[in-house]
Amino acid sequence: MSNDVFVITEHMDGKFSDVSFELVGKAKELAKAWGGQAVAVVVGSGIASNVFASDSTIHIDDAALSHFNPEAYGKVVEALVKERSPRLVMFGWTVTGMDMAAWLSARLGVACAAYVKNIGADLTMSCAAYGGKLTAEVAPEGGMAIAACLAGSFPVEAGQGSTAAVTMASPVDLNSLKMKFVEATKPAGGDVDITSQTKLVSIGRGIGGKENMELAEELAQKLGAVVSASRPVVDAGWLPRTRQVGKSGLKVKPKLYLMLGISGAPEHLEGMQSAELIIAVNTDKKAPIFNVAHYGATADLFEVAEAMVELL
Amino acid sequence: MLTTIEKIIFIILALTSAGFTFHGFKVIIDSIRRGRPAPELKNVPLSLVKAAITVLFQRTIFKARKGLSAIHMGLFFGLITYAFVNLFDALEGLVPGFDLIYGGKHIPNAPTGLVNAFNLIADVMSIFLLIAITVFFARRFIAKDKALNYRENVLLNPKVKAGGQARDSLIVDVFVVMHVIAHVLSQAYRLTDGADPFMPFASFLNSIFGASQTGVHVAWWVSIGWVMFIIPYLSRSKHTHFFMSPINLGLAKQNPRGQLDPAIPLTMIEGQKFDPGAKHIHDLSWKRVLDSYACVQCNRCQDVCPANFYGRPLSPSALEVNKRYLLKDATFGSHPDRLLLPLTETVISPEAVWSCTTCYACVRVCPVGNEPMADIVDIRRRMLIDGYEIDSGVQNALQSLATNGNWMSKGKRLRGRWAKEMQFPVKNATEEPVEHLWFVGDTASFDERVIPNTKLVAQLFHQGGLDFGILYQSESNAGNDVRRVGEEGLFEQLVEQNMEAFGKAQFKQIVTTDPHSFNTLKNEYPQFGGTFEVKHYTVTLLKLIEEGKLTVKNKLANYKVTFHDPCYLGRYNGGFTAPRKLLELLGVEFVEMPRNCENSFCCGAGGGQIWMGKVAPGERPAENRIKEALSTFGEGAGDKTQLFIVTCPKDMIMYSDAVKTTGNEGRIEVRDIIQLVAEAVGVDEVVAAESISA
Amino acid sequence: MNIVVAIKHIPSIADDLPVKGNNVDFDSVDFVLNEWDEHSIEQAVLIKEAVGGTVTVIGVDLIGELDNALHLALAKGADKVAKITADDPAADSHTQAKWLAEAVKGMGADMVFAGVQASNDIDGQIGAMIAAYLDMPYIGGTSAIEVSGSAATVSKEFPGGVGMKYSITLPFVAGVQSAPKPPRYAPVSKVRQMAQTATVEKIAPTGEASSGLAFKKMAPPVATGHAEMIEGSSKEVAAKIVELLKSKGLA
Repeated sequence: MSNDVFVITEHMDGKFSDVSFELVGKAKELAKAWGGQAVAVVVGSGIASNVFASDSTIHIDDAALSHFNPEAYGKVVEALVKERSPRLVMFGWTVTGMDMAAWLSARLGVACAAYVKNIGADLTMSCAAYGGKLTAEVAPEGGMAIAACLAGSFPVEAGQGSTAAVTMASPVDLNSLKMKFVEATKPAGGDVDITSQTKLVSIGRGIGGKENMELAEELAQKLGAVVSASRPVVDAGWLPRTRQVGKSGLKVKPKLYLMLGISGAPEHLEGMQSAELIIAVNTDKKAPIFNVAHYGATADLFEVAEAMVELL
Repeated sequence: MLTTIEKIIFIILALTSAGFTFHGFKVIIDSIRRGRPAPELKNVPLSLVKAAITVLFQRTIFKARKGLSAIHMGLFFGLITYAFVNLFDALEGLVPGFDLIYGGKHIPNAPTGLVNAFNLIADVMSIFLLIAITVFFARRFIAKDKALNYRENVLLNPKVKAGGQARDSLIVDVFVVMHVIAHVLSQAYRLTDGADPFMPFASFLNSIFGASQTGVHVAWWVSIGWVMFIIPYLSRSKHTHFFMSPINLGLAKQNPRGQLDPAIPLTMIEGQKFDPGAKHIHDLSWKRVLDSYACVQCNRCQDVCPANFYGRPLSPSALEVNKRYLLKDATFGSHPDRLLLPLTETVISPEAVWSCTTCYACVRVCPVGNEPMADIVDIRRRMLIDGYEIDSGVQNALQSLATNGNWMSKGKRLRGRWAKEMQFPVKNATEEPVEHLWFVGDTASFDERVIPNTKLVAQLFHQGGLDFGILYQSESNAGNDVRRVGEEGLFEQLVEQNMEAFGKAQFKQIVTTDPHSFNTLKNEYPQFGGTFEVKHYTVTLLKLIEEGKLTVKNKLANYKVTFHDPCYLGRYNGGFTAPRKLLELLGVEFVEMPRNCENSFCCGAGGGQIWMGKVAPGERPAENRIKEALSTFGEGAGDKTQLFIVTCPKDMIMYSDAVKTTGNEGRIEVRDIIQLVAEAVGVDEVVAAESISA
Repeated sequence: MNIVVAIKHIPSIADDLPVKGNNVDFDSVDFVLNEWDEHSIEQAVLIKEAVGGTVTVIGVDLIGELDNALHLALAKGADKVAKITADDPAADSHTQAKWLAEAVKGMGADMVFAGVQASNDIDGQIGAMIAAYLDMPYIGGTSAIEVSGSAATVSKEFPGGVGMKYSITLPFVAGVQSAPKPPRYAPVSKVRQMAQTATVEKIAPTGEASSGLAFKKMAPPVATGHAEMIEGSSKEVAAKIVELLKSKGLA
């Protein structure tokens, strides 16, 4: 086992996601403490991989890897980790990282922690378990570990750099895959892009009924904002998927994030916690969101929104 | 009077008419008998006698539309009279020399006085009938009273849509006019000796047309010929009402209003297995098949239906007329296969099924004892079993009820959390005996907007020295609305859970804050072995004040208030007096809204509506109710605060919202009666502060 | 089509979660079906309804109360149910996945579904691990799975409404994010009927695996910062928020 820290980066449409930079930044800190290297691992084709501040970057390039493919990516990462045996392998607890972290753990018999929001130099990992209601502090029993980290846990900037990548061919045969990429489907066009908005009024399960959606829209209009939502609201079909903030939705960084009736599950938090001003209104005074928001109020969101519409 | 040939023709006609009539009613009765067993009726003869008296005095129609009801009464007595008139007309035709003119002087030993009295009544009734029928005709065809129409979005049998009912009405209107005029003319033509003082109308016609034997024959045939046609026709039209409504009233629901019929009949028929609820028309109980024949589509139910008001596609009356047309098409028509079409395609749209608030207003107002609401619940029951995709909000609520015992997706252990925040220990009734077991209910236990009121109730019970306790996490939702949403299995599960909790507790009576829980605990739990004395908290509070255990220290003369009767306290269970008495004792200025007590207007939350994820556009019932309250208050309450008083946690939410959505904040405030009692009696400051900030 | 759905019975997060030692106080919590499992069951039943087959739902019975979840699955259209009798409420995902994988081995599954995640997946999700133990490919975050012949077309959701479609040769394991339709409602009477008539196959746990994690502490999150709370009535709160926004040039 080496003292290296591997970061399995992720990207889409030629762009790395923020979580990759976050993890590289954290990896550098840990690798430094352990006297090892922070290694950014890029799996994919046709992407500029010299964007990290890692100690080194490995780019596995193969045409079969041009789109995310859990089977192919997993096998590549497995081979690489087996060969280099780093002390820590970091994934994002994201739609792609989730396909590989636990799988790899079971394949290699290496300890794995998910929902990780912090990692200590002694490899103790803090996990936001039970919908954020409890924090579990866990330590791997062997020396090696896999950490699937919640996006938004570490600063992005520390991972940004220009380390040149070492490009390698795939260490495994990618010709006999059982899983084949077919096509990508974009969301129905025409909807606003919530990631480029400076102000968002975001609504959660607490909105209760569809009639209150109009109120949210009205408030957003008065603020010059756009309405976004947490997963349950989108699942209920009250807003299109393109408005969803969080893990399975979009990551947003507006100047204002006004939250109405969102309790603050970790999946949602990772999509919005870098907003500049977070104001949360929720009836539950114990809602985890109040640990993240800058301003909070325990009040009926309906009443507050109504009153705000009148005042604006 | 009739010639032999005429007599033969008459007898052939009479037999034919009787044959068609017999056939008509046999078909109807067979159709009714195909319905499922209804809950057992006790002492039917007595019920029928009572119904006959009710019908005679036309008691049930005067619940609404007083003027039209008076006209209906005239029509009713007119037609009753004419039953006798026609009998005598027939005798006049068949028995030579028999007639009633001039006090029956042609009949040997006739009781002259009696005959004259009858003649006078018949003559006057003829005029009444003509007036009544003209009014009804004018109402439908000239004034085109909108109350007789259905909303565009209401599912209607194509024949109804094409004007089937208007045609029925027209036929009967024309019949009555022709028949009455022909009859009176047939008498007028008989008056060879000039006017009969006991037949002023006939005498008047005689003064114009004179006497004529041919006239007698023609008029007689027109009058009686019509009857021969109309009697069998009645069995095939909405005017089965004439015969079926008194019977239906006599066989009407005997169980408490708040007790739904079981999803599967309790009376089992050998070899027959019933699925819960109703998919096809004969899955309904025979009694509710009969309903459709008693209904004459007066639409009084539609007038009082909150869902219909709200623009939803629900009309209880349309449900009944569709049922009758479905049966008619199948039995008299050539479409027996239609009986196997789902009710949701033939009599009521799924959207309408899910719009009902189960407020009971339609059943209460129905003059003929119909229960369209019960049909709707039965249809819901089967839709749930058949896997119909229900509203996601309702589904979430039901799922949470199944796992957490409450509809708000809260953990069981959180149910008693508010109690732990009290300044005194609230007893756990499963751990120590209490006199009053307080069944708190979901909304009052979990909803942050209502909890301050819940605490006030606890505080006042405490101050009044009431020995009470709650079940904490052992309480489950009582299941009232679960049952009304059609989830009978879940209802039974909740009843079992609560019965188990009651079994662990020692108490003398149950007190509830929620009228919905109150209703099912009082009326439905006995069916599951739970016979308890159940009280609504307004009764308990009133008693505490009347017994001097709580003293009104400050009279609340600064408030002008009106009171909303919750459906499940008022209309269902007659709990009208306690809240009003309480308000009186508190010294507020009290005004009654036009729709009060039995005729109270539903807030729109019941029967699972509060769980709905999708909310329809339009003025909501609660909003309309707030407007009603404001118009009751009128202008200028002076420096008094105008309050809308509720005694149901759901009302607190519904009406607080409605005040805001109608933009009436500042003009009217919604308060639970407990807040007023607390203010008048005086409570611990901490609790008071919290209740006000809420 | 032989579909096995692996479910997870987890502590309900609707309640407060008391802690005992370094883990949840399992005696003082209610166990419920993982919310994503409802979607995986629905997805399986939808496929069965489309192409025929058998749906077997299997879970680890941690506290002896799994039956209700299994009966619910039957009421929703599953054909067979089984439970691995463990009686260990603290069994982690690795352990459960191993037991489940061993049990599934003999079932000849064409597909194994699991919920994409669970709130107590501190050591990862069982779906991905079952795949590893069974040596089948794994794909998580699915929003639709359609089967034709010996392959399935699987849609996987990415942030922002982007979807990717994959063609996967059977057998494979999927972590279901959502079924194409919302999970159906199972009337309680049906569930109870199942409780009376259905048999739940009992399977003894075989195999051993571990998360390799030592729990050092479990506690409600330490608020790194807490929001500055705006007090007052709803109207006052609204006024203060508006004032705040105006002061920052945001309104």
